[in-house]
Amino acid sequence: MSVQSLRRVVITGMGAISPLGVGADALWQGLREGRSGIRPLRHPDAERLKLKIAAQVPESFDPAANIDERTLPLLDRTSAFALHAAREAIGQSGIDFSHGELSLRTAVVVGTGVGGETTQDEQSRRLYAEHAQRTHPLTIVRLMTNASASHISITYGLRGPTFAVASACASANHAIIQAAQMIRYGMVDAAVSGGTEACLTFGAIRAWEAMRVLADDTCRPFSANRRGLVLGEGAAIFVLESLEHARSRGAVILAELVGIGMTADATDIVMPSAKGSSAAMRQALADARLAAQDIDYINAHGTGTQANDATETKAIHLAFGAHVDRLAVSSTKSMHGHALGASGALELVAVIGALRDGVVPPTANLDKADPACDLDYVPNTAREMPVRAALSNSFAFGGLNAVLALRRAP
Amino acid sequence: MTDSIQQQIFEIIAKQAKVDVATIKPESTLKDLGIASLDAIELIFDIEEHFNVNFPDQQGANFDSDTAQSLVDAVHKALDQKAAGGEGNA
Repeated sequence: MSVQSLRRVVITGMGAISPLGVGADALWQGLREGRSGIRPLRHPDAERLKLKIAAQVPESFDPAANIDERTLPLLDRTSAFALHAAREAIGQSGIDFSHGELSLRTAVVVGTGVGGETTQDEQSRRLYAEHAQRTHPLTIVRLMTNASASHISITYGLRGPTFAVASACASANHAIIQAAQMIRYGMVDAAVSGGTEACLTFGAIRAWEAMRVLADDTCRPFSANRRGLVLGEGAAIFVLESLEHARSRGAVILAELVGIGMTADATDIVMPSAKGSSAAMRQALADARLAAQDIDYINAHGTGTQANDATETKAIHLAFGAHVDRLAVSSTKSMHGHALGASGALELVAVIGALRDGVVPPTANLDKADPACDLDYVPNTAREMPVRAALSNSFAFGGLNAVLALRRAP
Repeated sequence: MTDSIQQQIFEIIAKQAKVDVATIKPESTLKDLGIASLDAIELIFDIEEHFNVNFPDQQGANFDSDTAQSLVDAVHKALDQKAAGGEGNA
């Protein structure tokens, strides 16, 4: 099938649970105001951890709200986030899955890097630390990586292709790409897709500490004094539809997903390669049939590590050539932290906000220029400017790159 | 004691870098020894485990220029702090 004959894909609903609060609007308003969700770590074992800061979903988030009491015991924190975000997205889109065969022609694809880590950690603690005789009987159904996708399917009666995608920090973008491709090729008419992560357990935090990539002050992407990433958590879920399906039901379109790019570096398990990520950006542009000069904004992967930020800058140069001088690039991880498998989804909320409102969210905490990071990163204050089209970058440990290209609603 | 600590560290480095311990000099950088990013993190872990100490976080550390001697110094510092009653958490 030629690119020209593929169906167009639009986004008609979004929902989020993030360190900036409950709801996609709370996330977007926080980002455009440059507010940070990074706080002192809340953890029962905080005294024993080196990690002192994290971007956690506020304590005011109530997993039980709007979830029936029979479902609640089945949910890991990861699935609770995903279900809440899905509910918001589906509500906003106004889509009626009971219409005709739509429930069978709707996919559910949810990205998560780790899956039910809270459950895994709790049950391991019971076995190894408390010498319990048995684990909770719902351990498996809570921790399985596909649990979030399955709960969305069950809650809304969605019977189309349903699965999880795991590619570490690129999981959400890879998931959204799978959903979009199924719509493009006519396998389904709609999809519920995004990413979710909740893995701030004692064991996982200790594992991150051992990698020595965590900042101890805050997240400072592209700043010369950056000291690493800040772990986060949350979920964002979207309703995707074919353009004709959305138009036929008179839906409000938030943005169009016009292009995708996926590559692997095939070099190192952790060190990123500009060659791999620039190829993914170029692929997304070509797939969208957009030229470099059509892009006004890039939501960068921008983790705040020495290696990512310099390499991503180089990759943007490689992909955009002379047009880099007219690009606004920002890392919203400076505010919502690095939600790993959910990060691309949280960042898609930022990109949709930028396209709709004509406001580019800033890179917070950028106070010292780094010669290796020489782009316009929209430091510290949002910028009002028309955003016609944008890229959203997600790059993962393992050398995996997934890039989305979006355009203002048609 | 100093020599013995240095010798132990050089042996750990030799094992990680898969080189003869005799080729390691105090001024050898990890890069000279062919120890790249993730290997360097693993090396630090091996040294921490061996001496039962914790190094401070090395975010921003430069594995291209860190030397074998700097690791020996870091172990001495961590052991001193531990002896002074701390937990070795520099």
